[in-house]
Amino acid sequence: MKFTTPVVIGLEIHIELDTESKMFCGCPRSGDDTPNSRTCPICLGHPGSKPVLNKKAVEYGIKLALATKSKIAKELIFSRKSYFYPDMAKNYQISQYEVPLAEKGKITLPNKKIVNLTRIHLEEDPASLVHPAGMQSSSYVLVDYNRSGDPLAEVVTEPDMTSPEEARDFMRQLITILEYLEIFDINNCIIKADANISIKESGYIRSEIKNITGFKDIEKALNYEIQRQRKEVAEGKTLKMQTRSWDASTGTTHLLRTKETEADYGYIIDPDLVKIDLDKSWIDKIQATMPELAEAKLEKFTKEHGLSEEMAKILSKDKKLALMFEEVAVAVNPDLAAKWIRRELPRVLNYSKKTLEDTGIEAIHLIDLLKLIESKTITEKIGQKIIERLVEKTFDVKAYVEKEGLAAVSDKGIIEKFCKEAIKENPKAVDDIKAGNEKSINFLVGQVMRKSKGKAVPDEVQKILKDLIK
Amino acid sequence: MNAKEIIKQAKELDKEYLFFNKIVEDPKVYGEGTLSGTAISVKDCVVVKGVESRAGSKILENYIPLFDATVIEKIKAEGGMIIGKTAQDAFGFGSFATNVGIGMKVPLNPFDKERSCGGSSGGSAGITQKATFNHISIAESTGGSIVCPASFCGVVGICPTYGRVSRYGLMDYANSLDKIGAMAKTIEEIALIMRIIAGHDPRDSTSLDKPVPNYSESIKKPIKGMKIGMIKEAFGEGLDKEVKDNVKQAIKRLESQGAKVEEVSLPLTSKYALECYYLIAMAEASTNLAKYCGMRYGAEEKVEGSFNEYFSKVRSQYFNAESKRRIIIGTFARMAGYRDAYYLKAMKVRTKIIEEYKKVFKKFDALICPTMPVIAPKFTEIEKLTPMQNYMMDILTVGPNLAGLPHITIPSGTKDKMPIGTMLIGDHLAEDKLMQIGAKLKAN
Repeated sequence: MKFTTPVVIGLEIHIELDTESKMFCGCPRSGDDTPNSRTCPICLGHPGSKPVLNKKAVEYGIKLALATKSKIAKELIFSRKSYFYPDMAKNYQISQYEVPLAEKGKITLPNKKIVNLTRIHLEEDPASLVHPAGMQSSSYVLVDYNRSGDPLAEVVTEPDMTSPEEARDFMRQLITILEYLEIFDINNCIIKADANISIKESGYIRSEIKNITGFKDIEKALNYEIQRQRKEVAEGKTLKMQTRSWDASTGTTHLLRTKETEADYGYIIDPDLVKIDLDKSWIDKIQATMPELAEAKLEKFTKEHGLSEEMAKILSKDKKLALMFEEVAVAVNPDLAAKWIRRELPRVLNYSKKTLEDTGIEAIHLIDLLKLIESKTITEKIGQKIIERLVEKTFDVKAYVEKEGLAAVSDKGIIEKFCKEAIKENPKAVDDIKAGNEKSINFLVGQVMRKSKGKAVPDEVQKILKDLIK
Repeated sequence: MNAKEIIKQAKELDKEYLFFNKIVEDPKVYGEGTLSGTAISVKDCVVVKGVESRAGSKILENYIPLFDATVIEKIKAEGGMIIGKTAQDAFGFGSFATNVGIGMKVPLNPFDKERSCGGSSGGSAGITQKATFNHISIAESTGGSIVCPASFCGVVGICPTYGRVSRYGLMDYANSLDKIGAMAKTIEEIALIMRIIAGHDPRDSTSLDKPVPNYSESIKKPIKGMKIGMIKEAFGEGLDKEVKDNVKQAIKRLESQGAKVEEVSLPLTSKYALECYYLIAMAEASTNLAKYCGMRYGAEEKVEGSFNEYFSKVRSQYFNAESKRRIIIGTFARMAGYRDAYYLKAMKVRTKIIEEYKKVFKKFDALICPTMPVIAPKFTEIEKLTPMQNYMMDILTVGPNLAGLPHITIPSGTKDKMPIGTMLIGDHLAEDKLMQIGAKLKAN
């Protein structure tokens, strides 16, 4: 391939799929974290044990292939990738080689750039190694087989990215897709990237950085590596192909080994697993369950609902909020809906450390609430208070407003009375306003709002105050 | 005989003939059924819960499996009593049960202790011949490891269709070739045990989901009008003359009962099966043996140096010469640059060989030939064989094994008091026909 850009980046991303059980045995994929508690003769590689494929993992892989418009293989074939390592139960990994699950997909970045996917394949995770005294200074390692046999989807990109920012955006887009497909849970699944990076100055001699977790670290690791490579070249050194590790705690990469030749994994087709037809009817069935993805939602939000590009981007990134928005926006003004779903809802959720599912809040609650605001039956202030209570426990919003007498005060006499009191109690603020300090009026509005327990309409209060002070 | 007496006899025989790698001191009976009162010996490579299982290799010293192979579960449920693990070439790598693990015993032929039992399921064949108690042995074949020793020891041995019997719990030699089968003195016992161990197992993805016939009924059926193909190439060069004459007599016996026997040629199989078999078997074996590295079970050493140094030390010390030879050849055959020429080419040839057999089975109910080209050789003769001559011993048995076809050996006579076996090969899942014909084959 002929490169021209200052920086060339390609990624290999390992995604742990959010299945109940492991890839080739019945052990739970997540749960008890006591070392080696979620194991059996199969994921421990005991002699005589045999793998049996978890179809759910295949289904998840197919979903990812469909979402990235990849070409899906006709048959699912697993191979043995042989190499010796202490984290390998069998000293071979069941993976895919000649024929991956899918090829030639693509993911579009926010800047509309297309990153091509070479392949998507399925494989089992090795065990995890625990270095009791840190990676560099431990004299021994412990092996925990809880992770051994977890289902992974590996996504390999073409070297299409030209900056660390693009790599970061790619990871973000990928995670959004995974979350929309509900095949990955960021809270209990691991996503790791190996990044290949080279620069023009060296003639594109690439290094591979292993095991980068999280999209923020991708950007940091790649930025560090660009600086390191440029420095080496500037010092007159000749770069060699090498594999490096990323140390997130120090923000640096370290040499693991220089690559003289490509490793030879001696692949053979795994004779314990039969070939599985990926027939059209199965794929069609999965296709029918595919949700509308973020990209489509973004377009819909701007074109159909008239949201700003920025608002639409933020809403479409989070599947749950996006779905909530779609339901609410048919009943109330889309801008109002967007504002509340994008800002107020996440605010109170964050504050109470809850997720949307924890609360039981549904579209109907927000529709009722926003309709009351839209019709000025309640003030936004009261709206905020109601949503705070909804997060604790849901209830019928309309009935609640009536029962608690929360409707906005529309009796001008009462508001005027509160305004007069506020003016009397705060002579300094009144002087400031008269001296031309317009901002002090907000202070007085706040006082009136407090007196009305939030039920006064701020715009009206301000108007009355101005009239009275004039 | 009660359990105590059975174990006493097994131990006495073992002392004299070295048939066992492990004898169960206090054997238990778990269920009740058609195997009640039958002692079952098990080739070392089939795991039995709680009983040291080594696949004949020192590298699995002290490995006590945590689970039963599916066949063992089925046997236990039917009342079979597991009495021990039988001697074999380590991991099944051999034709004479002489490639045993370092420091382990070579079983001796029941008819002449200077001769081999055959391999790799040598111990199974020997004890099957010598036991006077009700006994069936569970054996395993990758390239001929059931019928070869059964023939040399004068017992009936069946290797079923690939996938007919679950491999769950079988320590793998070459997964696409391994089959669990059985040995017994009579074909009636073979019919009985096959009915129990055959059938689908969701724990083995390659297991076939096909109904299991009542083989005990099959063996009673007449063979009049059945068509049997006599494999032309198997009666050619390299075949012992007395073995040839004996098998021809056996064929006559079948003809006298109304079977129609015709000569048939398998040119492709005869020419390429052996090479093709060894390439695939060794390539798969070299990956299967990777897990034995002294880390999780079996033999271990003082942990020193890097993991690479440690694994190499354990593997160098505990694998025997033949295991190392097959790991090295197998690894070579699947290396980049050689894969296409060896491993992948062999896979393609295998498909062609299967096609050749399938074509023949359109016309014939079974094929017939000698099981082994010679009678059991003396240990002194075996020592002189080169590895290549050793592999040549499997010339007649690798074909059906490579194609996953069921085959059975029936004792059909003797030469110098040593047994001769005649082999019948059937189409996929045609075990019933093999037993039907086999029942008529035995010398009177």
